[in-house]
Formats: sequence, structure tokens, C-alpha cells
Amino acid sequence: MYNNLITVVCFFLLHLLPISSMAQSGITSGKYHTNSEVQQLLLKIQESHPSLLKLHTIATSPGGEAVTVIEIGNSKEVCPAIFVGANFEGDIPFATEGALGLAKMLVDSAQYTVGIKWYILPLPNPDASKGYFSKIRYGRKVNDFPINNDVDEALNEDGFEDLNGDGWITRMRVKDLTGSWIVSNKDPRIMVMADVKKNERGEYKLYSEGIDNDGDGEYNEDGEGGINIGIAFPHLFPKNNKEAGLWPGQTPEVYGIMKFIYDRPNIAMVYTLGSSNFCLTPPKTGRKGDPGSEGIKVPPRFINQLGADPARSYTMNEVIELFKPVVPSQVEVTPSLVYNYFGLGAALNPMEDDLKFYARLSDDYKKYLKTKGFNTETVDPSPEKDGSFELWAYFQLGVPSFSMNLFSIPKVKEEKKSEKADEPTVKKEGEELTDKEKALLSYSEREYDKKGFIPWQKYTHPTLGEVEIGGFIPYLESTPKPGMIDSLLNVQLPWLLQLSKKLPVISFASNKITALGAGVYKFELFIENKGLLPYPTAIGERDKQPAPLVVVLDNDTEILEGLKRTPLGRIGGNQVKKLTWLIKTAQNKTITVKLESTVFGNEVKQIKIAD
Amino acid sequence: MRYYILIFTLFVIVPSLFSAEKGKIEVPLRFDRYYSYAEVTEALQVLHKAYPELTRLEVVGKSEEGREIYALTINNPKTGNDLSKPGVYVDGNIHGNEIQAGEVCLYYANLLLTKYGENDKITKVVDKNAHYIIPVVNVDGRYHFFTDGNTPHSNRGLRVPRDDDGDALFDEDPYDDLDGDGSITQMRIKDPLGAYKVDPEDKRILIHVKPEEKGEFTLLGYEGIDNDNDGKLNEDGEGYLDANRNWGYNWMPSYVQSGAGNFPLSGLGTKAINDYITARPNIIIGFAFHNNGGMWLRVPSEKTTFMDPADVAAYDVIGKEALKITPGYVYQPSYDLYPTYGDFDSHLFFVHGVFSFVGELFQREQETYRENANKPQQVADEANLAREQLKFNDRLAQGELYKEWKKFKHPTYGEIEIGGWVKMSSRLPHPFMLPELVHRNASVVLLAAENTPEIKMEVFEVKKIGEDLHQVRVRLQNKNGLPSMSANAVKTKLYPQDRLKILGGKVVAGGRLIDARINKVTYKEKKPEIQFLSVNSYGVVEFQFLIEGKGEITFNYESAKAKGTSAQVKL
Repeated sequence: MYNNLITVVCFFLLHLLPISSMAQSGITSGKYHTNSEVQQLLLKIQESHPSLLKLHTIATSPGGEAVTVIEIGNSKEVCPAIFVGANFEGDIPFATEGALGLAKMLVDSAQYTVGIKWYILPLPNPDASKGYFSKIRYGRKVNDFPINNDVDEALNEDGFEDLNGDGWITRMRVKDLTGSWIVSNKDPRIMVMADVKKNERGEYKLYSEGIDNDGDGEYNEDGEGGINIGIAFPHLFPKNNKEAGLWPGQTPEVYGIMKFIYDRPNIAMVYTLGSSNFCLTPPKTGRKGDPGSEGIKVPPRFINQLGADPARSYTMNEVIELFKPVVPSQVEVTPSLVYNYFGLGAALNPMEDDLKFYARLSDDYKKYLKTKGFNTETVDPSPEKDGSFELWAYFQLGVPSFSMNLFSIPKVKEEKKSEKADEPTVKKEGEELTDKEKALLSYSEREYDKKGFIPWQKYTHPTLGEVEIGGFIPYLESTPKPGMIDSLLNVQLPWLLQLSKKLPVISFASNKITALGAGVYKFELFIENKGLLPYPTAIGERDKQPAPLVVVLDNDTEILEGLKRTPLGRIGGNQVKKLTWLIKTAQNKTITVKLESTVFGNEVKQIKIAD
Repeated sequence: MRYYILIFTLFVIVPSLFSAEKGKIEVPLRFDRYYSYAEVTEALQVLHKAYPELTRLEVVGKSEEGREIYALTINNPKTGNDLSKPGVYVDGNIHGNEIQAGEVCLYYANLLLTKYGENDKITKVVDKNAHYIIPVVNVDGRYHFFTDGNTPHSNRGLRVPRDDDGDALFDEDPYDDLDGDGSITQMRIKDPLGAYKVDPEDKRILIHVKPEEKGEFTLLGYEGIDNDNDGKLNEDGEGYLDANRNWGYNWMPSYVQSGAGNFPLSGLGTKAINDYITARPNIIIGFAFHNNGGMWLRVPSEKTTFMDPADVAAYDVIGKEALKITPGYVYQPSYDLYPTYGDFDSHLFFVHGVFSFVGELFQREQETYRENANKPQQVADEANLAREQLKFNDRLAQGELYKEWKKFKHPTYGEIEIGGWVKMSSRLPHPFMLPELVHRNASVVLLAAENTPEIKMEVFEVKKIGEDLHQVRVRLQNKNGLPSMSANAVKTKLYPQDRLKILGGKVVAGGRLIDARINKVTYKEKKPEIQFLSVNSYGVVEFQFLIEGKGEITFNYESAKAKGTSAQVKL
């Protein structure tokens, strides 16, 4: 309660301050919060600004915890919204603090809620998040959904045990003639796989810390839960991974999130705070089997109908050309039709056009970090996971999806190659530690009071006998000391606020009326996008997501060519699009043109017809 | 945001052709007519009322428009709780227009209940199985198919609005029942430049003109107007969310799979039915009835999935016999028809471990008008086929399947003619053919129910091999054609395998007896007193245990889907 009080007090103080001064005053209470604390915080924030904020409980986890979204922004008009989700895997409490910090920044400064609505979900996986706050920590990622991981007669009967009583679940190494691990000769703390090519023989087996509670010969194979929310969304759903569930949305958190977002068609951008970083590195390219980037084979049942060559691979455009003569003239042949008819499966790689804005904004982000004097020589962010929220947001919602890992471990400066060459090479070729292992060891030594690595210590195990227990502690690489929370967020979060200013801003730019005689006019309308981001993204165009912008001419206008409701189609960042009609009307008449959108709202313009 | 721009009011409710509303619904139910949604509900209530002991009637959930989705359970409580018996799941009408699928479900229920105690085969499946029957999945669809103007193909999806034509309006340009007859038929206009002329043999038929010939008509498509003035007719009708592309397993978004919906199980009915099936892990066989083509379809529904041969063999036990029960049908993986994602049968098989069949009811080829129906037409061209179908309509359906062309003043086209096959034609058998269709197809469900696993267990050898040690051999045998678990469920660790548990004595070693004659055993290293297994189609599994101690030893067989059993032996 005391902490909450401080938070609330800070809050009111901050409210008076411009955003730039926040770095000094602290935006969070400098600690990590449990879900019940998060819920209380959200409630307090909401109560402090009832007109600006709304809370939505969008699901209840299998463990009975509320999953809550805070809505920020009180624009009466329709306006684009940004959805922010954090800590989907439940093991990055810092991401939850990031989301709470962002909510506070938005509440404190009006400038980012003018014409933009925010939906912030600080903790989509509350069950797993309990793991960080429990007495024994193992880096829990799954919720309480009942999953019998070892499909035996009992549920959750063989979890971890903290055998050495240090509060962490680390690893057990045990000498075993059939083991495949050896101690690295570069650093005795690190275990590496024996390399048969180097004539090495394994000496150890590695286990996670615990006992075989159910006596089936497997260790810790059926602990508590569950489904990992961070890998349970429909794009590239990892259907062979039990921790994703049997289908995307089997668990109520994921279902609730998808429903919440689809119920709000104005969501035009998505942020994810977690382990990947689309702000730096766009969604992965080069995945095999993408029907968009590789040749398309015509399935046997279409060969005759389309007059296609079964041996040949076609481009999408070629297939569309094959289809045109055989479909009724009213049917428009689109890539989507081809996808459906051929059963091609989903796109796997981001669209080239979208990579352009990702590249541009990645450069800007790097420059931004430089101006902040932020160390960017850190361990690379984890690649996005199959079934992740950030991938789904890009590939299926069709919106710009930016993810961010708010913290990563500083890299250790590389030793020079020349020095390495001088080393004696008589003894067996040493196993190199990975950059990440080096960085983690160094970080543990220098910044984590040497507590990030539990030194191997002997332990007598009930079934394995003499073992050693040790290793990196869970949460080490993603969870900075609470004292660092504010300073990190003060660098990272403002970038997300700046990104919100890159949303498309679409409006009338100009128009031109050309009299063709006898009351017939050519009417040209120019629509511009002043934002940096396109609308929709290239993948969104394929998804038909989000809803299109439509230009509507008023009822009285007699249209000779063109439509009363004309979809604008895709418009790039900082681009102009021209729409043309042929109309018949009296001179000096005013026509009303409406730019209509469920995302951006409506804009109306009166245009007078004059020669 | 919904815009309904209806220039012609559709308020006139036309009494539907063939629908009952002709007298009381009583047991036994009648199958020479189609039941409306309300009548299906009433029929279920009537069945439940007549057989309160054997049935349970539940509301599974509600649809988008608030209609109730009913499930009828048929189970004899005297032979055990339904969850303890192999479950047989049957549904129909997931596509709103495929209404006779609902009739097959009703018929199956009616057959089991009215013949229980009279017919031995039926008595047996009622006693040994639990039957879960959901006659109408897409309740809104069935309702609207009867009450609104429809083509034989429309009103398939759930009532979730979708912007089909990309103009940011939802469902604003549906068909319009211009002549108010309850059917959406065709529009044609007299046109000397048209591509069609009247068939000299039957003036209702339009045939293509040859290049040098003069045309008489242009076909304007289905009955309707351009409600949204975008130059296209009827291009943004109701929906489209296809409830049979909205299931969780291998769901793909709409640009990959048309009708998928925004996310898996976003349809209220699909979600509710999934919850219903999840709560009944005993279901081992499932039928989902559709209405076109005459097919028995099994998984997989897309080409990349490998099917374990044991599962194909189990499917074949039903599928190959079904072909003889429903002559003219084909039996094939549904991928051979076309690939689908998020379909119900895959979800049943890969998520719930249920052997799932799609039954595509009715073959229009049965609408014959010739001396020997089995002998094909001499010239089976399109016009000949149409002529025969029209004669069938005239002489056997008394003209009920076809709307004669009639003049109509269209707001855009002016003088046109409207006519053609009505909604109750083409994919629906005329009611006089319905009784045979429902009986044959329900007989296939019955065959599957008969083939659900029945595991018999026997201790077939007890041998003293030491001071206080016995060698005990146990055999589990499946008398029927469906295995106790699919091979896929075992391989993917879908749910806990069947178990053989030994109580009493100390099991020193125990494991699978591979070959009793040469004494080949694979002992399970840990916990030999619990053995995991599944029993194949007509399969046998044997175990050997070395048991220390004396007294009564109990062997319990437990299975999620097959009925458990036990055996005792005294050492």
C-alpha cells in the first residue's frame, strides 16, 4: 500500500511537469509489481482521471486473475488508436513496468492523446507473471491452463524443486558416461556440448533443478500449467508446441485480446514490450515456403482449366493473368482469390514495401538512442517467436507493429583477433563462449553483484546421487535491478511516444475541376497522407485490414464515371493520391465531398463548381 | 455500422415451400417435409418429452441473433453415465442453406428412440454408446433460409457482417427478392445482341447462341438490384463468416481461407459447440452433415498433413462400407475436393481426437426422368441435363422446384423476366425423396456407432515362476473397427493414453508382450504397474507382468473414449 501511495503522489506531482523533466523525478515506483498491484495501480490511475481513462477487463486467466486494458484518451471524435501489450510471456516484469510507465506518461502529458487513443495492456499473462514473485523462481512463462505435459495419469505432478534452497531453479550437472556435455575450458562455469569432430567425449548430463516426483524417469517434465500467451496467437502458430495450446486462442487471455482488438476497428498501430525489437530489426525475412516470394505451382486440379504448365512456377501476377479469362467478368481476380483457390497458405515474410518504413524508423531509433547517449552495444534482442503477438499484429491485423525489448545486457568488448592468434594452440581447441554467455557473465560480475550466476555446488540428489547445482539465474537477462527501471524507461518510452506521431494523417490536399462543356466536368481530388506510415500497410492491403478510407460524393451529384463511394486504396507515407470523376452538374453548384473512415474519422469539404 | 438500403421492402413473409407448419409435430417424426428452425426445436422437445429417461435436451449456446442451439443427448442411464461410454457426435446444417443435414440428425434421433427395445441392433447402440446430436449448428442461417429470399446457395454463413466489396459498408447489397416469392432466382432481359436464345425443346432453358446466330436474351444474374449504386449487383450480402472455416485447428486468416472470420472460434456457435465437445472427451466418432454432391469426406483437409496408416485404416472401416449404404457417393480425404483451413472435421480429429466424417448429402443426378435411372443419358450435355431436370420438376415435383419465367419491371433494367430454380431445389431433395436420404445416411452413423471400440480384457495365463513370484499375461482385444485412440492422438500426445493399472501385489516388472510364443517382452523401466496403450481396429494388445506377493490382483483398463473394464486374478 505504501508503494501505491507513493505512486499516486508522484503521479499528481508529475501531472504538473512537462514530459522532459520526468527523467529526474521518476515515472515508476522503482519496483516490479504483481498483478494485484498492477490492478490496483490501474484503478488508481483511472480514478485520478475518470474523464480521460477507462478500464476494461477483457479476460480472466485460468488462474482467476483479471486481464485489464486501460484506455487513455477522451477524444469525442473517431480517432486512430494504438494498442500496447507488454510481457506476454509473463517472464519480463520490466515490460509490464514499461507499459505502466507509458500509461503514466500519457496521463501526464496531453500532447500524445490529442487525436490518438491508447489501449494499454500491461499484463496479458498474469498467471505466469506470478513466477517472478514466488519464493522459488524458474522463469515461468505459462498460465494455469490445465495441460498434462507428459500425458500420464496426473496433472502438474512433476515440477521443479529448489534443492539447494537459494530461491532459484538453475541446473544440475551430473557426471554420466553417456552424457553429452563437458565443462568449457574457457570458463569452468559454462557447459558446452562435446564435439565429436574434435574427438571429445561427453562427461555430464544436464537437468533442470528438481526431482522426479512421479517416478517416470523424467525430471520436472510436468510442472504447473499451462499455455504461454506469448506464442499462442494465430500467425505461425506453433501447433506442435504444447505450451501454445492446441489452437490459437484456446486460452481466454488470447481469445479476449483478439476479440477486444477486433471490436475496435480504429486500432491502427500496435506496440509490444517484450523480448523482440521491431524498432531495431523488422520482422524476420527469408522464411521458406512463402507463397508471395517464391514461385507458385498450379495445383493439378487447375492445370487444365487455366491452361497452365504443371512443371512451371508462376509469379502471382502471372497466375492472376491465367485466371482472368476463365472467371466471370464481374469477378475481380486478386491475390487473395488465388490464395484461396490454390490453398497457398499464409504469407510468411513481411512485404517489401513495409520493410521500407521499418528500415527508416530503425535508423531514426538508432540516432535517437545516440542522442540520448544510450549504450547500443548490447546483446541482440531475441528474434520474434512464432505465434507471438507482435507477429500477429503485423501479419493479420495488418497494422505497423513495433516491438521493443526495454533492456538488454551490454556486450563485452571483443578481444582483438591478433591477440588470439598469439595464444598457444597446443592444448585442445577451447570451446568459445557465445557473446551472450560472455556478456551475461560479465554483467553478473560487474552489475549484478556477482549474483547472476549461481556457482556450481555439490548436492546429493535422491535419485541421481552426487550432482552439482548452479548456472545463470532466471530473469537475469531481461530484468534489470529495480533501481535502473526509471532511467531505462526515460530513454526508451519517449521513442514510442514519438512513433505515435508517425501515424498516417490523411486529408484533402487539393482539387481540380475542368469544364468539358454542357455542364460536364472532370473532377479531380487529391488526398494526401502527411504521416510517415502508409495506410494500410502492404500486408494490410492483403488482409483487407483495417477498414478502408472511402471518399463519398453527395447524393445530388450526377456521376457519369466513377463511384459515389470510392475506396481510397493504399496510400504511402507522405504521398498523394488522385481520384477522378466525371460529373454533370450546374455551374456554381457546391458539391459536398466526405473523406470517411472508421479509423481516422470523417472530413467534409464543400467544393464549388466553376469553369 | 450497418447500412441496409432496401428499396423494395422484404416485409412480406412468404410461406415457405415444403416447410411443415402443416399439423402437429409428434413422435414418430415425419420426414416427408422440412422443418423450420422453430419446428426443429419443437421436434427435439417432443422427442425429449416422449423419452425423458433416454434423452437430455440442452441449450449449447446462442447465436449472433440470439437463437438457441440445441443438443439432444441419447443415453441409457441404466447402462452408465454418458461420459463413460464411447460418444457418437452428429451435427448438421452448419451452413444455413444445407437444411436436410438437420433432418438427418433428427432422423437418427428418431430412429434410435422409436426403435429402442424393438430392434436389437438399435437397442445395443443406445445401451453401449452416448449419442450427442446437434441438428442445427447455424440456427440463424436455417431461420433466414426459410423466411428470406434465398438462392439454393445463399445464407450459408453466420450473421456476422462483413464488408465484401471494400467500400466500408457492411452487407449493404444483398440479393433482393423482387417478386416476393421467397426465392432468389435468375433475371433475364430480351436482347437481340444477347449471348443466349431459348432452347427449342424447352423454352425455359437458355442456351448459348452460335457466333453467327442472333441472340434473344442476356442473363443478368441473380434477382436483385444495385442497392449501393456501385455498378455491381448483389456483391455484399449477408456475412460472410463460414462457421466451417472458423475452427481452431489450422485456422488461417480470410485472405488465405475465405470465410475464416477474424480469429478462430469468433463465431458464437462455433465457440459454444467447441466448449460442448471439450466437456465430452468420450466422443470418438463425429459426423457433420452438409448437402452437396454425395460424398463421405475424411481428414486431412490440406495437403501437408501426413495421415498415419492406422488412422486411414480405421476411417476405411466406416468409409468403405458407407459407400455401399449410400450408392453413388464417393469417399475421399476432403483435400481431394479442395483444401480448407479451420474446418470442423480437422478440428475434431486433430484437437479432440475424434474420427470425423463430413457427409455431403444428396446427388442431383438422382433427379432423373428416364426409363432406366442407372443408365446414363445418351447425350449428357448441359442442355439435355437441364431438360431432364425440368421434366423431373414437372412430373415428379409437380412444378415446385422451378419458377416459371415471369415479366417484371426492374428499377434499373426496365422490363425483364424473373425465373429459374427455387431455393428448395438443386441441393435439396424434393420431400418425397427425403425419407430414403435420411435413412441411408443415418444408417452410416449407426454403422459407426456399432464400430466404436469395445475392449475386452482377459488374464490368459498365470504361471508361478518363483517362491513368491508370478508371471501374469493379460490380453486386451478390440472387437470393433474403430481403435480406442487415433494413432495421431497417441503420436501428438493429444491427451493421456489408455491405461492398464494393476492393483494389489508388487509389480516387479511389466511391459508389452510382443510375441507370447517366443516370450518376447519389452518391459517398462519405470512404474510398471501403470502401462500406457491404445488398442487398434480389431486389435490385440498383450502385457506380461512379474508380480510379487499373493492375493487378489485387479487389472483396470481406463480410456478416455472406450468404456473401461477390469479383470481379477487370485495368486
